[in-house]
Amino acid sequence: MTVLRTKEKQVLFSLIVGLLSWLVPGAGHLVLKEKERSIIIFATIVLTFCIGIYIGSIGVINLYGATPWYVVGAQVMNSPMVLVLGRVTAGGAYPVHGWPNEIGQIYTSTAGLLNLLCVVNAVYMAHLRGIEPAEG
Amino acid sequence: MEAFFIIATFTVPENFGANPQSMLWLLPLVAAIAIIYKATKLPVITAGKFIKETAVLFGSIIVFIIIAAFTLHVLAWLITG
Repeated sequence: MTVLRTKEKQVLFSLIVGLLSWLVPGAGHLVLKEKERSIIIFATIVLTFCIGIYIGSIGVINLYGATPWYVVGAQVMNSPMVLVLGRVTAGGAYPVHGWPNEIGQIYTSTAGLLNLLCVVNAVYMAHLRGIEPAEG
Repeated sequence: MEAFFIIATFTVPENFGANPQSMLWLLPLVAAIAIIYKATKLPVITAGKFIKETAVLFGSIIVFIIIAAFTLHVLAWLITG
């Protein structure tokens, strides 16, 4: 019974770490007391995403338009805040075409996929450390 | 006021075409991939080791891209004459 409860806690802790990593890039690693790692991840993901929307404008976040589903999925992996940004651009008020659109989409979706890698890494680290966060 | 102008730049796309210089936009993306990969792979992060490993991976990716581009260019030249 105790073993089962411990295992449940471990799964719950891993889920929370994964969710935090998705909400704010690097937050999951911060919970695991990996401060340097979390700062590097946060700065890199946010900067890559910002370069993408600087090149192509926020119009590259086109969740309800003709953007392929895999690009939308990758962009959403940055953070749920992308969904909010998608609501802002939903009316087609920020049109973007051609090369800036493609480069913007590549940057924003790559940032999302890199964050997915970080989410998986944070969950794996949480799993390895058990239910208790690592000592600082 | 300055902050509003900076935020406004995110609402209009940059104006550039598909020219050889635009390929340089590849570099920040490769740097981001190298940084994140090494941030997740290194067991312990120390500034010196992290920078060195990231630089080696960044260079490796760029060299591989150049080799792939050159190979494809030669292939295209051989096929199309």
